[in-house]
Amino acid sequence: MENSVINKKSEPASSVEPVLQVKDLNLAFNTPRGQAKILEGVNFDLFPREILALVGETGSGKSVTAKSILNLIPERSRETRGQVLFGVKDLLTISGKELGTIRGNRISMVFQNPQSSINPVFTLGEQISRLIRLYLSAKINDLKFKTQCSQKQAVESIAREKLNEVGLTDIKRMLKLYASEVSGGMAQRYRIALALISSPEILIADEATSALDVTVQAHILKLMKDLCKNKRTAILFITHDLGIAAQICDRVAVMYAGRIVEVAETKKIFKNPLHPYTRGLLKAVPKLGKNKPLSFVPGIIPDLVSPPRGCRFHSRCDQAMDICHKQKPESLKLEDNHNVSCFLYKE
Amino acid sequence: MNESLISLEQINTWFPNNKSLLGKPRSWIKAVSDVSLNIIEGECLGLVGESGCGKSTLGRAILRLAPLSSGEIRFMGDDIGKLDNKWLKPYRAKMQMVFQDPKASLNPKMTIFKILSEALALNLRVEKENYLEQSVKLLDLVDLRPEHIYRYPHEFSGGQQQRICIARALATDPKFIVFDEATSALDVSVQAQVISLMRELQDKFNLTYLFISHDLSIMEYVCTRVAVMYAGQIIEVQDAGSLFDAPRHPYTKALKNAVPIADPESGKELGILKGEVPKLSDPPTGCHFHPRCNYKEDICSKKSPLVCKTGENSWVRCHFHEKLWKQGILINSKESL
Repeated sequence: MENSVINKKSEPASSVEPVLQVKDLNLAFNTPRGQAKILEGVNFDLFPREILALVGETGSGKSVTAKSILNLIPERSRETRGQVLFGVKDLLTISGKELGTIRGNRISMVFQNPQSSINPVFTLGEQISRLIRLYLSAKINDLKFKTQCSQKQAVESIAREKLNEVGLTDIKRMLKLYASEVSGGMAQRYRIALALISSPEILIADEATSALDVTVQAHILKLMKDLCKNKRTAILFITHDLGIAAQICDRVAVMYAGRIVEVAETKKIFKNPLHPYTRGLLKAVPKLGKNKPLSFVPGIIPDLVSPPRGCRFHSRCDQAMDICHKQKPESLKLEDNHNVSCFLYKE
Repeated sequence: MNESLISLEQINTWFPNNKSLLGKPRSWIKAVSDVSLNIIEGECLGLVGESGCGKSTLGRAILRLAPLSSGEIRFMGDDIGKLDNKWLKPYRAKMQMVFQDPKASLNPKMTIFKILSEALALNLRVEKENYLEQSVKLLDLVDLRPEHIYRYPHEFSGGQQQRICIARALATDPKFIVFDEATSALDVSVQAQVISLMRELQDKFNLTYLFISHDLSIMEYVCTRVAVMYAGQIIEVQDAGSLFDAPRHPYTKALKNAVPIADPESGKELGILKGEVPKLSDPPTGCHFHPRCNYKEDICSKKSPLVCKTGENSWVRCHFHEKLWKQGILINSKESL
């Protein structure tokens, strides 16, 4: 079990500086019915070389969090407060030009549907070469100098090398194809290769394997795990599948209605979930070979235009107390870096 | 066990591919080839496989929504494989379908009442003046409130929309319902709600289900028997309880190993199945799975394996299933569970 993906020792979180700090991120959209408070006080850190899972139901604000990190949500329609610190820079306030040097270069993103996030009118070869020319000009020159080949040949050989890294074969043929001509698994691997060309410090994977089959998903997950180990890339893995979180992630952050309710190391959170929502979520997961009846959290996610007062989960919580209706729970730091926002644990 | 409600005899569904100038197909996409299957009354049969293996086409072919190239479909003893649309109508009411995307399968311009009355019109037992009463009853069955009846589909959440789809399917008083990835678009907690509702309704109305999904872990909760499909063929049918603990076909085992388990202590690595799903226009010779199989031998690429019974209602299609079974290669060791 030496190379087991789950037995990897995670780094002590306190001794390393986080690459990304999301501090008290608030985001609201203006809708005809009023302001929808999509994110409310989201806090988390992403450390180098770790895979952090962000899990939650549809509409809990996972994708919005990811998009706000890269400032991808149009400014007109939203109101944002808080900070997204990448090093010393706050990504929410820096200029568009500066953001351009970070987006796709130092922080890149992989989306859910691979075929629709690849330009359908250019061949796969054209798109990858464009990125190589943009980010790896030094490497091209180096290669041109060493092997005395043309620019085009140099770009192509780098493209091959990069696509090989993500486990693609028959690359020569593939470079001439369009997005619609390759399978979902191939397209997603190609997309990951594109995201990694610039050797980013952070890779955000927004439901990157949800559209794929389990067999293909297993490939992609293993690939991401290896990349994280070899390339020193930190991965923010957004998913609704707790199985994935258990298999490849070092830490798990559980999101509910725009708030992060619990953050802990994967093993701890699965063994000892503290927040009532996390418990309910874990019980609803079907497990192979364990035929217990599925239970579920009653009710649905609240309307964020008029969210419940106090703790946003209290209306569905079976352990709700008086205080839950009145006050917002703060994030409590318990032992072993286990953070939970719930009054049950307040002394 | 009871008699079979639906029996399929070597059904094929081929779609023309790459038509020539005169409209004659040069080749065929063999979405379903040579499938024989019994669906027993009162059971929930699961159908799993990767995308593009023909599961949905098979589900649709049973309901005669997809063309049937050859073969026989018997529904309660009647051969419905060759009936035309007019004669199929009474059978259509008895066989319903619930689709993956609830939003797309409900007409956005119709109220829930209109949607349900449209289906109720097929139910000869309900008089027109009783539609409202009946619709309220249907909504009650799926845990929705009577005041929801004049709302439009977009006013509901995904889980509620799927429940409306189930109510619509029940409106015609069916015997058999096909759920085509009916819970795939839902969250785990909502999925669990919909599934417990499905089971409840099955007991109440003695329904028979065909549950199509790519999610293996849900199968055990929903189904009594599971059929595994690969490249247009069904390669294994077994009881849901034993299928994933003791699979008979190497593909079932590979599929199971690729499922991420929500337990970081399981100590199990994701199994990687090499290669890609074959194209249905040009499936491999012999056993369709042989290019990706770890246990293949010469015969696998030459001869298509025959159906071998392994139990009363279970069978497998593999040349070496007996050998693999005796060696115990495919059985999961205790610690991997």
